[in-house]
Amino acid sequence: MKESLMEIVCCPMDKHDLELDADERDDGEIISGTLTCTDCGESYPIEDGIPNLLPPDMRDGA
Amino acid sequence: MPDDPAHAGHTYDRIAAHFSETREYPWPEIESFLDGRSGAVGLDLGCGNGRHAEVLAAHADRVVAVDASTGLLAEAAERAAEHGFETDLVAGDAAAIPLGAGTVDLAVYVATLHHLRPRARRIGSLNELARVLAPGGRALVSAWSTVHDRFADEGTDGSGLDTEVDWTLPGGETVGRFYHVYDPAEFEADLKASELALLEWELSSGNCYAVVGPSE
Repeated sequence: MKESLMEIVCCPMDKHDLELDADERDDGEIISGTLTCTDCGESYPIEDGIPNLLPPDMRDGA
Repeated sequence: MPDDPAHAGHTYDRIAAHFSETREYPWPEIESFLDGRSGAVGLDLGCGNGRHAEVLAAHADRVVAVDASTGLLAEAAERAAEHGFETDLVAGDAAAIPLGAGTVDLAVYVATLHHLRPRARRIGSLNELARVLAPGGRALVSAWSTVHDRFADEGTDGSGLDTEVDWTLPGGETVGRFYHVYDPAEFEADLKASELALLEWELSSGNCYAVVGPSE
């Protein structure tokens, strides 16, 4: 994902801002990392360059 | 079939590659909605393999494409790379849109609403769309309708019908997908019950289509 997407995305549950913790970057894109809600503290993974902002109970394996 | 909000996303994960192969071209109704419209941020909610995100990319500076199926998002990523269009892919639920209020100028929400259940969740999803639309923003919402030839013999009491439609994989395995097939009057009523402003609606090719804006 592009870092500029941070201006648009939010926590799906309470709509508060997210904080980005990038593990791997490539050519300006974030390939893997974590997005954490600044209010409720829920964390959302970024995998293969795609942020997974599904509610936690809808994620794979949930 | 479990009554699980994740069902549609997980179902599409199982059929993503084959489904995507059969969904090559955008629908003409989406192209005519976008004709003459543009905005800074476009949203394709329930983007599937990205065929409409691709069209939207010509009408918005940036297109965010959201789907509950990570399998379909992988198909959309492949399509974007092959066809050379830019889109920001996000895994998300149409009933809990992970975008800030008023961030979207132009949206398409095509053939997705009918996978949500129950009705409260469908209305909640329409309210979420109203929340993310910027003032003056516009969206096209479509859903399968009981006027489709496929349901010609089904009786409906005006409240639509809940059904399961099988997807047959190349190997013969079938995967059931939940649909709430809308009675046209019910589609209009649900939009009016939501926080969206209903601007116009029509029936076309067995689907209900509505042009909507945020509540003023």
